Amino acid sequence: MVKIIFESHDGADRTELEVDAGGSVMEAALANNIDGILADCGGSMVCGTCHAFVSPEWFTKLPPQSEMESCLLDFVPDPQDYGRLCCQLEVTEAIDGIVLRLPTQQR
Amino acid sequence: MSSPIANHIPAHVPENLVFNYDYHGDPRVTNEVHASLKTIQDDAPPVFYTPKNGGHWVVSRFDEIKKVVEDYEVFSAKEMTIPRIENPPFFIPLNLDPPNNMPFRQALMPAFSPKAIKELEGKIRHWAGSIIDEALAKGNGVDFVHEIASVYPVSIFMELMGMPMDRLWEFRTLSEAFFSTNDQEKIHQLGGQIVMNMTEILEEKRAKPCDDLMSHILNIKVKGEPISLGEMQNMCFLLFLGGMDTVANVTGYAFRQLANMPELQQRLIDNPSDISKFTDEAIRMFGVISNPRIVAKDSTVFGVDFKKDDMVLCLLPISGRDERKNKNAHVFDIDRAKEEGSTLTFSSGPHMCIGSFLARAEIRILVEEWFKRVSKYEIVPGTELGFRMGFSVALTQLPLNFQKI
Repeated sequence: MVKIIFESHDGADRTELEVDAGGSVMEAALANNIDGILADCGGSMVCGTCHAFVSPEWFTKLPPQSEMESCLLDFVPDPQDYGRLCCQLEVTEAIDGIVLRLPTQQR
Repeated sequence: MSSPIANHIPAHVPENLVFNYDYHGDPRVTNEVHASLKTIQDDAPPVFYTPKNGGHWVVSRFDEIKKVVEDYEVFSAKEMTIPRIENPPFFIPLNLDPPNNMPFRQALMPAFSPKAIKELEGKIRHWAGSIIDEALAKGNGVDFVHEIASVYPVSIFMELMGMPMDRLWEFRTLSEAFFSTNDQEKIHQLGGQIVMNMTEILEEKRAKPCDDLMSHILNIKVKGEPISLGEMQNMCFLLFLGGMDTVANVTGYAFRQLANMPELQQRLIDNPSDISKFTDEAIRMFGVISNPRIVAKDSTVFGVDFKKDDMVLCLLPISGRDERKNKNAHVFDIDRAKEEGSTLTFSSGPHMCIGSFLARAEIRILVEEWFKRVSKYEIVPGTELGFRMGFSVALTQLPLNFQKI
């Protein structure tokens, strides 16, 4: 099992998920009704509505962003450093314990 | 006049999957278009073949639609005209399957992203306010569709593009005509007219660039190379149709719904922050665009055998009303839980509507500005509302009586 922690933008709410490896973090979030993840395009990397922020430490550990992902992250309502699209993060042991801070709004 | 199109059922379609549905004017459909289409969702097989309009598959339920619009390797977006015609209109990036659509989408993101729309909010609000004011000045009985819904998104879109505002009605009429026909000759003639108009404006922008989307399109580079005039035309064609006819139609349905819910009107006046929930729910309930696809290779999906070149129509407008996906799907409830408010009104997958953020903002802001001016409203009693069907469904009028604040 892989632990994924979603945090509200102000850190007030925390939801810890224990999910099986496989699939994307976005899919895990939807399956567990994480309100702050919308995923309008279903993981096709055209909408940016599944973005979240990680710590600089986690950011360097994750596989690099594609050009399209980084473009989408520039155009979210409130762009910040260390953003990732959850549809591009695979659920594996390598991300066990990751903390994803949700934005104030996805769109 | 449209020439009659022969019914057709190809040999690979089993009899138990045949179900009659004419998306251009089905006898089951009333001006409550979405509600009346429930019968298609519930009585027909989840994926069925209609012999109408040259014969095509129809997909009406949420999960199946999502699969079709996301699986571009089987269900290609390269051709979208039902019935099929020779040299069908070509839209960029819509008719390009991944990865070829991506550079074009990326080029358009700066204009349609959530960030861009946030910055555009003041302009949108200005249009909303002035268009509502003008309409309300006409007094009771004002036709919301003609005076507001048809004018508002189109005005914002034309300004965004940098199109001449004095030609608004000309463009609006062209777009309505395009969406109202399935006649091959007419599609070509109207498409040609739209492209010609857009090309004229592109040429004007080339001579005199401005800070607008059409000037931006002239400078788009894909893999370092400028795009061709043909590609620019195909982009403008798509943006034109997307910008003219979609929000206008959703807004008409949304305001009709709200007209019949006086308590909700009061709630939105008292709590304007609930208007974004109203917007989400209206978008779930009142999609207007259906997505056609063409089968790219012989495939078996959902246990159904599809043959290369079969056409498939996804009924996005009723995707959010699928009871299998959303509990009490036919109830308009702005307080529904996120997981019971799923919709594919904007489609999904690589061709998801690029204007969705703009559309949501436009609807929300229009309602916000409306209730700064109107304390309650109703549909003029005794009105029989007209509508049209096709790839884009629409109310053709909505006369309102209102009380000003």
